[in-house]
Amino acid sequence: MSRRKREADSKVGGVWYPRWFWPAFATPSTLWLLFLFVVPFYAILSVAFGRIDPIFGNPVPVWNPFHWDSTAFRFVLNQTFLRGGIYQPAFMRTLIYVGSALAICLVVGYPVAYFISRHGGRWKTFLLVALIAPFWISYLMRMLAWVNLLQDDGLVNKSLHMLHLIGAPKHWLEGEGITVVLGLVYGYIPYMILPLYGALDRIDRSLLEAARDLGASPRRTFFRVTLPLSKQAILAGSVIVTLPMFGDYYTQDLLSASPKTTMVGNVVDHAISSPFVTRAAGLVTVMMVLLIVPMFYYLYSTARASREAA
Amino acid sequence: MAHPRERWSYRRSLSRREFLRRSAGSAFALSSAGAFLAACGKASNPTFVPSVGPTGSGGSASPSGLPFPLARKDNPVTWPIYDDNPLIQSGLQPETNATLKIYNWEDYLWPRIAKNFGKEFGCEVEISTFPDYQTGISTIQTAQVDYDIYFPDPSILGKLIFGKLVKPLNLDYIPNLKNQWLQLQSPFYDVGSQYSVPYTIYTTGVAWRNDKVSEDIPSMSNPYESMWDAKYKGKIRLLDDYRESIGMALLKNGITDLNTENPADIELAKNDLLEMVDLVNVKLDVSDYTNIPEGTSWINQAWSGDMISAQYYLPTSVPVEALSYWYPPQGGGAVGSDNLVVLNTGKNPVLAHMFLNYMLDQKNAFDNFYNFVGYQPPQSNIDPDRLVSEGVIPKNLDTTVVRPEDFDKGYTYLELSPTGDALWNSAFLEFSG
Repeated sequence: MSRRKREADSKVGGVWYPRWFWPAFATPSTLWLLFLFVVPFYAILSVAFGRIDPIFGNPVPVWNPFHWDSTAFRFVLNQTFLRGGIYQPAFMRTLIYVGSALAICLVVGYPVAYFISRHGGRWKTFLLVALIAPFWISYLMRMLAWVNLLQDDGLVNKSLHMLHLIGAPKHWLEGEGITVVLGLVYGYIPYMILPLYGALDRIDRSLLEAARDLGASPRRTFFRVTLPLSKQAILAGSVIVTLPMFGDYYTQDLLSASPKTTMVGNVVDHAISSPFVTRAAGLVTVMMVLLIVPMFYYLYSTARASREAA
Repeated sequence: MAHPRERWSYRRSLSRREFLRRSAGSAFALSSAGAFLAACGKASNPTFVPSVGPTGSGGSASPSGLPFPLARKDNPVTWPIYDDNPLIQSGLQPETNATLKIYNWEDYLWPRIAKNFGKEFGCEVEISTFPDYQTGISTIQTAQVDYDIYFPDPSILGKLIFGKLVKPLNLDYIPNLKNQWLQLQSPFYDVGSQYSVPYTIYTTGVAWRNDKVSEDIPSMSNPYESMWDAKYKGKIRLLDDYRESIGMALLKNGITDLNTENPADIELAKNDLLEMVDLVNVKLDVSDYTNIPEGTSWINQAWSGDMISAQYYLPTSVPVEALSYWYPPQGGGAVGSDNLVVLNTGKNPVLAHMFLNYMLDQKNAFDNFYNFVGYQPPQSNIDPDRLVSEGVIPKNLDTTVVRPEDFDKGYTYLELSPTGDALWNSAFLEFSG
């Protein structure tokens, strides 16, 4: 065995392993990623840059990139980024709705996760199960339940009226952006709470005690110790929650269905059942590229946190 | 009672998993579309030659960019029988140990009818559903499925025939065709019923809650304008269908060509629809049959069949008399039909023919309409007046009854050229966001 080869191999517990040994463990996940992400993404690109069957209006993917037709994709880019583009309102709305929903998820989810991890005691498991239990019911059914609750004569309006918070019934289901945002929050908030709970529960109590011993107030302890230590969970929860929100279309469909609250997911959904499937694929591609930026920030931040921990 | 054309439950509430399955499925499977087009080029009848088809005649080729003619009332089409897509022979016995596979809209066939057919003809009957025509055709085109029967409307029939996705009908197996209204025994979009037979008929009009809306909509000079009435902001809904919504805006403006490809007409309709967004905060769905009875909407563009079903969704506190439906009483509105065809992908062409005949049977057609679907079959023995007098349809909903003359005076959504279809779709997508 050459010296160079020997150096490339590694020794663990007195046993030499060939250099491919440890990376080989990544094979299943690499294959998984390849077949469930790379290949489908390439299929979407092939549709976005493909053609439309002139008779049936179906997409004809073009697999060879040298034969790609960029007409539909250029249309999507122009209508998304140039002034007055028809897709701009949907993109802006999506950004605002998802941003608002994320903020509410954090504001509501963090205290809930904090409470369960710190004060749940022997009820921790019960509280977690109680939190997740409604989500065993399908998303569709839960949203339909909200349709009933939010009707003009529904329980929400009745309760608000009883509490003298509103004089006349609020028309929640008549194309209100706030209803869509609250629907998104309700649909996705457990995915924010669970990673937050995991992180908060793992924080070493001695660190908090040390902060208190050094004279930090509870508020200062929270902002200087607890919050920084849960930053990665906040980021993880935000990524888990926002990614599906950006593609969501049925929350808008069920709780609004108004063109005034259309999100990008709805535009894609409409385009799929039209002869503009190439545009739908183009929109998906643009959205993915836009979402890569926060994803990279998340990966960068996680890597940095790991380095710091090491 | 379930609802007939419950597209909503599928299209508008697709699960993420289903969405991914469909997206990936179409992305991969539709690669065969290229092969299909190539195959079209090699077919024995690569281009449609009007009047000289192997057994067909009539219809003139349109400058549509399509290799087949666009059927119109003034341009009836007799589709050819292609050499490589012949009729089945007469007198064949039905397939044994078979499973007849029906590919239909959600809740658009009474399950008991299907069960009875299976019992009578010694086969299993399996019903699968499609959410919209685009998905339905894509699925059939992949040839990965072996559905026997499909339910197209005239707006997609031409492409199904030209693409040889449907089998020509041997009418020897379908004597019950004679039970249908005369003009639908040989409709202009398929002269001689060579590929299709009628299943249900409907009109598209305006439905409203007369206990909530003070205006007498039928007496308005232009009842379509009721849908632009700002007084009912938030309580007005349109059908989430690109042909129907734009079509209604065209009719409102007095444009009766519901297959117009004139950009100025479509632009006018689109601008009218866009006006609705701010004016009445219009919403789009196909839940007209629940919106109106439940009071979610007070004025709703609606299909006549849905309004017949609507009575079963009324809360107990609301009497059926609160429902109203307007369709131009002298005719001249949107009128449509859904049809039955036999698919080439199926393994049971004889049973499929027999099923078509079974559904055109007077009793079966009526039972299917009355007990489940709510959409009227064009059976000549069904007296529209008796539907009301015998209480099948409430008196206040007598406007939902479709009459043979409606098909003479009404306007049907038909196949568009690819350019025209793109024009309509583009306008709708701009409106719907």
